[in-house]
Amino acid sequence: MRILLVFILFVQGFSALAHPLRLSLSEIEYDSDSQLLTIDLRLFLMDVREALVFDPDSAELAFCQPNESPHAERLLLEYLDRFFYVKINGEKVALKIKQKRLSGEGDNVALGVVFELQQEPPLTSLEIRNAVFTDLFFDQSNMVYVHVDGDSRSLMLNNTTPVHELTF
Amino acid sequence: MNSIIKRSPILILLLVLLGGCSQETGTTSSPAQSASIEMTEQPVSDAAESEEELIARAMAIHDRVLTFDSHADTPLRMIEPGFDMAERHDPNDTGSKVDYPRMIEGGLDAIFFAAFVAQDIRDDEGNSRAEALGLQMIDAIVESAEENSDIVGIALDPDDAYELEDQGKRAIYIAVENGYPLGDDISNVEKFYDAGVRYITLVHSSNNDLADSATDPNGPEHEGISAFGEEVVREMNRLGIMVDVSHGNDDVFYDAIAISEAPIIASHSNARAVTDHQRNMTDEMLRLMAENGGVVQLTMLSSYLLDEAENPERDAALAELRASSKPASEMTEDERLAMREAINEINDRYPNPPATVKHVVDHIDHIVDVAGIDHVGIGCDFDGGGGIEGIFDVSEVMNITIELVRRGYTEEEIDKIWSGNLMRVFREVQAVAGRLQA
Repeated sequence: MRILLVFILFVQGFSALAHPLRLSLSEIEYDSDSQLLTIDLRLFLMDVREALVFDPDSAELAFCQPNESPHAERLLLEYLDRFFYVKINGEKVALKIKQKRLSGEGDNVALGVVFELQQEPPLTSLEIRNAVFTDLFFDQSNMVYVHVDGDSRSLMLNNTTPVHELTF
Repeated sequence: MNSIIKRSPILILLLVLLGGCSQETGTTSSPAQSASIEMTEQPVSDAAESEEELIARAMAIHDRVLTFDSHADTPLRMIEPGFDMAERHDPNDTGSKVDYPRMIEGGLDAIFFAAFVAQDIRDDEGNSRAEALGLQMIDAIVESAEENSDIVGIALDPDDAYELEDQGKRAIYIAVENGYPLGDDISNVEKFYDAGVRYITLVHSSNNDLADSATDPNGPEHEGISAFGEEVVREMNRLGIMVDVSHGNDDVFYDAIAISEAPIIASHSNARAVTDHQRNMTDEMLRLMAENGGVVQLTMLSSYLLDEAENPERDAALAELRASSKPASEMTEDERLAMREAINEINDRYPNPPATVKHVVDHIDHIVDVAGIDHVGIGCDFDGGGGIEGIFDVSEVMNITIELVRRGYTEEEIDKIWSGNLMRVFREVQAVAGRLQA
């Protein structure tokens, strides 16, 4: 049975210029019946550009455009590999992009990235590292919502506390 | 340059008592912290109050009045594994703006901690999760207060703050920021009231089932407050929960004024005539707030206090750096790290002009001018983006009082700004609830 790793990252924070609140939101969802875990990242495009090509206004990567750079996904995954991971039952999940999309407008355009992964039950431990954008902003805070079989929990990760393990 | 106290009021008082007034601009550091005190060159005359005397007078006022910050997102810090509110944190290291030691340093007597739940999918599952997460955030607030019951206490009513102050404790009030945890179930309003919530910010950055956000990129959905949102406002009136219109679009404000039988609040909003931002309130809204009997609480977000200035030197330096660098797609990991360091160095060398306490009191002056002294207060939004030069974290909030004194505000007026106005609204909201429940 196909299992999806559900991880939804919502960035409600804003670019360095638009809003001083450095906050992102990640959401991890697992249902043992469907054995589905999905990762859905939504990152403000300006911050993605700053992180990947050092220019928030660059059109080089052109995510989700017909002329999307052949380097775009590689750079994104390399960046995420430095600052983000999820371990299920002690094993690091491999992130493979299934889908990308853009939403919003102006400075609030967000890049949504979906990862899919199979995971057999039981899920007994979930370790998250989320230090995304802490290289850009010292006060970046990354909120993580975790939903495992209806058990919802929230935690905040940042540059001083980038990793935490939850047990179920 | 006027004096700004940074985290060392005791040192200021000692300087006054010892007559050690420095006539030169400079800084001194507290041995305990990285505090600095900026003194100005100011001629001293028999008639004029010296800077040290002004600060001492302001600090005495600050100590006497009940200081009440109506909005902090510090519960977000409370869910950070290992974060201890009883420890003093360096805001330059972690970004943390509030903890109990710094509340004491800043002379902040009471605070609303806002339980924030980010807007997500608006279906039964999403609503259920939001409710659970909201209640968990509130549990974190209560747990923190209970663990530190020697220095703080949960407050539910206006008088609680004064009683806790008499006990030498700080008052912790609870709010919910974003009505999303209410879902579409009106009974949740009372559930959150029973959990200790005494104001609800109807909406946040995105529209929800209650109201339209001022900043939703998709635009309005309800043309203000929805039908369900109206039910929520009326239920809040019945229970005695203050209606907070911050983050709502203009129509939310006008609807709230029309619907609510009790005065409303804007827990962290500024004046749009001073800084043109959709989150700020127009003069018409300020006048209507005065008629309503409500209060607008000034917030310490730079973008709401100051129009963003151009920074051509920084932009030129960044452009030169990018032009002289290889494409990012060809960089090694070490080259990427070096590039990031170089960019950070440029940003540090050419910082954007910061908002300061002067900008804060400019907004206060304007609101007083338009709406009157009875309709303005303080809602810093620490740990939610708030924090500016001179009011970087909660340990520096006394600088607001100093600037108010410098501009000629009386102690009675400062007392209103710091808590009297908000408490008036709080009491009236409870009085309305009493009448509705009778």
